[in-house]
Amino acid sequence: MLLLIFKRVLIAFFTVIAVILLSGILVHVVPGDPVTAMMAQSVSATPEAMAEMRARLGLDLPVWQQVLLYTWHVLQGDLGTSIRGNESVAWLFLQRLPNTFSLAVSGLVIALAIGLPLGFIAAINRGRLAETVVMVLAVLGVSIPAFWLGLILMQLFALELGWLPVAGSGWRNIVLPALTLGLTYCALVARMTRSALIEVLEEDYIRTARARGLREYQVLFVHALRPALISIVTVVGLVFAYLLGGQVIIENVFSWNGVGRLAVQAMLQRDYPMIQGFIVVFATSVVVVSMLIDILYGFLDPRMRKS
Amino acid sequence: MTDTSAPLASRRRLPVSILIGTGLAVVIVAAAVLAPSLIPFDPMRMAAGPRLAAPSFDHLFGTDEFGRDLFSRVLTGGRLSLGIGLTAVVSGLAIGGLIGLVAAFAGRLVEATLLRIIDVLYSFPDTLIALALVAFLGPGIENATLAIAISLVPFYARVTYGLAAAERAKPYVEAAKLAGIHTGRLVRVHVMPNIGQSLVVMGTLGFSSAILSAAGLSFLGLGVQPPSPEWGAILASGRNYINKAPWILIFPGVAICLTVLSFNLIGDSLRDLVDPRRKDRS
Repeated sequence: MLLLIFKRVLIAFFTVIAVILLSGILVHVVPGDPVTAMMAQSVSATPEAMAEMRARLGLDLPVWQQVLLYTWHVLQGDLGTSIRGNESVAWLFLQRLPNTFSLAVSGLVIALAIGLPLGFIAAINRGRLAETVVMVLAVLGVSIPAFWLGLILMQLFALELGWLPVAGSGWRNIVLPALTLGLTYCALVARMTRSALIEVLEEDYIRTARARGLREYQVLFVHALRPALISIVTVVGLVFAYLLGGQVIIENVFSWNGVGRLAVQAMLQRDYPMIQGFIVVFATSVVVVSMLIDILYGFLDPRMRKS
Repeated sequence: MTDTSAPLASRRRLPVSILIGTGLAVVIVAAAVLAPSLIPFDPMRMAAGPRLAAPSFDHLFGTDEFGRDLFSRVLTGGRLSLGIGLTAVVSGLAIGGLIGLVAAFAGRLVEATLLRIIDVLYSFPDTLIALALVAFLGPGIENATLAIAISLVPFYARVTYGLAAAERAKPYVEAAKLAGIHTGRLVRVHVMPNIGQSLVVMGTLGFSSAILSAAGLSFLGLGVQPPSPEWGAILASGRNYINKAPWILIFPGVAICLTVLSFNLIGDSLRDLVDPRRKDRS
C-alpha cells in the first residue's frame, strides 16, 4: 500500500514538473514575440518600455535558461507577476481558488445526486423502459453544451421568474452555475455508473448469489454494491476533472469570480504569465485529484495494492 | 464474435438510435453544404430586416442586434462548425493514429514510454487542453482548429493503440513476422485494413466533442471571431439580448445540440457494433 502511494505521488510530481516545463516552453513556441503581442494594445509601447519588459520577464536570457528558471520559481510557489495589474500571479489565483473550488464541489455533488440513482436504476432495469428512458436522457445530456444550458437556466430562473440573481459571487449566486454544472455532468455520471454496475452484475459470484436463492435486494446491496462502488470512485475522479474543464466556461457565463474567469480575461489580453499560471494551477488540480482517486482505489480494492 | 447473451431489447434499440442519428446528420450536413443556395439573405448583411425582430415568415429565426437574418447565419454557421470539426478530427486521428501504431509496433521501450505519456495527457479533459493551447496560439479559426485537433490526439492514440495491440496477438501478424516482412509494411498492408473500420467509428466519437469545444472557445471569444456566424460566436453576442430577443440564443444552441446529438447517437451505436465487448456499456 505504501509502495502504491509512493509510486502515485512520484508520478504526480513528475507530471506536474512536465506541465510546468511545457508551459514554460510553449511561450517560446508562440509565433511572434510575446512582448510585441502583449504591448500591441498598449499606448506606452516605446522601444525602451519593451526592452525594460523583456528584461523584467527574463526574455533576454537563452530559452533553456528561461524555462528552467521558470520551473524553479514555480516550484517555490512563485508564478511571476501579471503584465496587466503587475500583481503576483500566485496571489491572484490563490484569492479566487476558494470560489472555484466551492463551485466545482457543489456542481459535483449535484451531478452525483442525480447521476448515481439514475445509473443505478438503468443498470437494474436492463432491457426495460426505465433503462431506455435513462439512456435517452443521458445521451441528450452529453449533447447539450454546458454554457448554453447555463444561458437557458439564467433566462428562465433569473430573468423570467426572478428567483435567483443573474450573476455575481454571493451565496445565492452559486445556485445557477452549480445547477448548470450538475445537470451537464450528471449524464456522464449516470452512464458510467450504469456500466460499472452492469459489469459487476455479470460476475459469476452474482449468479452464485442468485442461485443460492438470495432475494434480489440482498444480491444488489450486499454483493453487487461494494465492488461497484469501487469503480464509481473512479467515475467521481473522472467527472471531477471534466467538470473543472467545463467550469472555465461556466464561470464566464455567470461572471463567477473564480480562476476560470480570471484565466479567460488573461487569455483575451494575452497576459502570458497569467496564462502559464492558469495552466499550472488547473493541471495540478487535475493531477492531484486523479492521484487521490488512485490511492483511494488502492484502499478500497486489495487487488490494486499488489500491482 | 456475436454476443448471444445480450438481451433482445438492446438489440432492437440499436438500429433506432443509428437511424435517428444518421437521419439528423444527413439533414444537418445537407443544410450546411447547400446553405449558399438555401439562405434568403447574405449572413453578414446588416439591416436585412428590423433589429431584434422576432421569428416571422420573412425571417424564420428572427434577426439579431444588427438586423442580420438569423436563419441565414445559423445555416452558414453550420459550414464553419462542421468544417472545424472535420478538419480537427481528420488531423487529430492522423497524428493520434500514428502515435498509437508506433506505440504498438516499435518495441517495448517505445511502447512503455509512449503509453505513459498518452495516459498522462488523457487524464486532462480535452476542453482544457484545447483552451490551454488557444491561450498560447491566440484566438482565431485556424488556431482553434489546431488546438482542438491536438486535444483529440491522446484519445485517438489510445484507441488506435488498443486496436493495434489486439491485432498484434493474432496469428496472421505472427505469420507475417516469421515470413520476414518489414514492420512498416506489416502495419500498412496487413494491420491497417483490419483496424481502419474501427478507427473511422472512433472518428465520429471525436467529432461531437470537437464541435462542442469549437462552440465553447468561440463563445469565450477565443475561437472564431465575430462577425463570422459560428454558433458559439452568435451565442456570445446574443447573450447581451437574452431578455429582448431570446431567439438569438435558442436557434444556434439547438443547432449545436442536434449536431452533437446526431454524431453521439451514430458513434455510440457503431461503437457497440464494432466492439462486442463493450456492448450495452456506456
